[in-house]
Amino acid sequence: MEANNGQTKAGDWRTYQRVLLPPVKDLHRLDVYEQHGGYTALRTVLTDARWEPKAVTEEVKASGLRGRGGAGFSTGLKWSFMPPVDDRPRYLCCNGDESEPGTFKDRQLMEYNPHLVFEGILIACYAMSINTCYLYVRGEYADWISHMERELEKLYAKGYVGENIMGTGFSTDIVIHKGAGAYICGEESSLMESLEGKRAYPRIKPPFPAQKGLWGYPTTINNVETLACVPLIINNGAAWYAGIGAERHPGPVLYGISGHVNKPGVYEYPTGMLITDLIYEVCGGIRGGKKLKAVVPGGSSTPVLRADQIEGVTMDAESLREAGSMMGTAGMLVMDEDTDMVSFLRRVTHFYHHESCGQCTPCREGTGWLENLVTRIDEGEGHLRDLDLLLDLCTQMEGRTVCALADAAAWPVRHTIQRFREEFEARCKPSVFPTGDGAPAEAVPAS
Amino acid sequence: MADITKEISPLPDRTPEPVFSKDELVFTDEEKARLARYKAQYPTPEGAVMRGLWLAQEKFGFLPPEVIRLVADELGIAYAQAYGVATFYTQYYKKKMGRYVLDVCTCFSCQLCGGYDMLHYLEEKLGIHKGETTEDGLFTIQEVECLGACGSAPMLQVTNGPYVHNLTTEKLDALIDSLREGRMPPFVSVTLPQDEQELDGNRRSDAEATEAYVTPPVSETVK
Repeated sequence: MEANNGQTKAGDWRTYQRVLLPPVKDLHRLDVYEQHGGYTALRTVLTDARWEPKAVTEEVKASGLRGRGGAGFSTGLKWSFMPPVDDRPRYLCCNGDESEPGTFKDRQLMEYNPHLVFEGILIACYAMSINTCYLYVRGEYADWISHMERELEKLYAKGYVGENIMGTGFSTDIVIHKGAGAYICGEESSLMESLEGKRAYPRIKPPFPAQKGLWGYPTTINNVETLACVPLIINNGAAWYAGIGAERHPGPVLYGISGHVNKPGVYEYPTGMLITDLIYEVCGGIRGGKKLKAVVPGGSSTPVLRADQIEGVTMDAESLREAGSMMGTAGMLVMDEDTDMVSFLRRVTHFYHHESCGQCTPCREGTGWLENLVTRIDEGEGHLRDLDLLLDLCTQMEGRTVCALADAAAWPVRHTIQRFREEFEARCKPSVFPTGDGAPAEAVPAS
Repeated sequence: MADITKEISPLPDRTPEPVFSKDELVFTDEEKARLARYKAQYPTPEGAVMRGLWLAQEKFGFLPPEVIRLVADELGIAYAQAYGVATFYTQYYKKKMGRYVLDVCTCFSCQLCGGYDMLHYLEEKLGIHKGETTEDGLFTIQEVECLGACGSAPMLQVTNGPYVHNLTTEKLDALIDSLREGRMPPFVSVTLPQDEQELDGNRRSDAEATEAYVTPPVSETVK
């Protein structure tokens, strides 16, 4: 596909016009948002006979929009899993829990363009014939929750949310739910448990949320950024959206870049950007003129890439998979040559140990042992065999728990050790085995 | 040999002396109305428990068992369920905290950008370790996990409220001074780097304070 009729390929990122966070002053206010074409997509789908609920789902499916919460699943496909309408309640959850370390993009949407999220929620509700949406925002975002509640009140007053929206007979309520500090609530099934007023222990799947979700009723869970893309697709068409960025992972994406770069922050660009472009062109390079050491492309659980692994790698699911990592949430962490990978990994394992909900033994105990072993190595008390023990431990955790937190904890350990093995070995003492006959213990050489 | 009869970690006291008297343990009519409104937003009363606990924490400062029981009774749900929820989430304080809780992020990006330097500076300045409260009851320091402001690392949050971005030691000094005078930091909207070029700065005119994007001059090593 050639870049034409206004479509942007990642290579043209310099001329890219932002759509999720367009450059408009005070766009977070309802009046300003409406002046700039806000809520026209909602009005169109509600009033135009062409837009039956099914047609909206089909359009989203055709656009190729993939979830921005980390897993990258096709959004239209997810919507189509909802069973036919019957007399049961149906729910939409908008996931604004955003607790993955390195991820801070949804907060920018809530700060600067909350109405795009609300409009996306309302269109999604219409597409799946849903009458209640819970917008789950992490408790730490107290300021942003109160901003959004204020804007939501205006929407209720204006008749854009609630009973009989825009006089079309369609009704939907939006409830903002304030979390209280638990990483695990970003996992969709534990988010539902949390909404139901329980300890947020993830559920076993299947049944999937579309069959048995909130309070046992059909439910769809989408990320904040994912839903923010929906009004854009309705306004501009699926083909326009599919033409932005990488072919199999299209659309605008909010790159949250942090760490040792000169200009960290959230940037909106098409998918499929070269990682090197993002670091050296967009963010102005590594600070202090230092050399790049490693990049974590999509939040703490995605495998780290060495500087020599990122040449030609682009930010989309396919390219990153080939390079041995994942797109995740596009929350990229950049590390310079001075970074101590052992210490870095120690803090990451501490995070997962702290955030394990404690439901499954391999995760509850495994994350603790990961932290203990990496801490021991970091403090210079580790032995070479601890590295293999760590890798073994990862194998015992991956895929053996209800949710993916154990995998998310194991991947960074496995890949950081594999990709920076020399650095870890240099910190370890040789493994010493007693010989049993009173002779001095024999050191096992490295590697 | 280790003494295997010894408790590995002490179990919490199940029936501690109540902190609040019976007269204190009441919701006003306005608070009851808020709870009823929360209840109406969910199909079951259990759904409102998190909002209820937040309300109680705002009122009482922290959540000892008798306060959790008050919330459970008001919502008409089991005490055990409310207690389970209150103890699962880290933002619900189970013990009395200082008037200002300084949650310093040291996770991931903040670690690499000097979060530990900021934490240790605060610990020395206030003369307490993380997890402790100053003798005058003003400050508690906590080391917390990612707060979702990685682009403006290192950062901290004051008592589950405003964020303070791009920390430096000078900024911490100013923050502590203003908190001692009872002034909470304002909401700060961190400018998007792209807005700086296209909009000449921050796009929100209502934000109480704005600041241009800066990379803080802090240590670049991890330790």
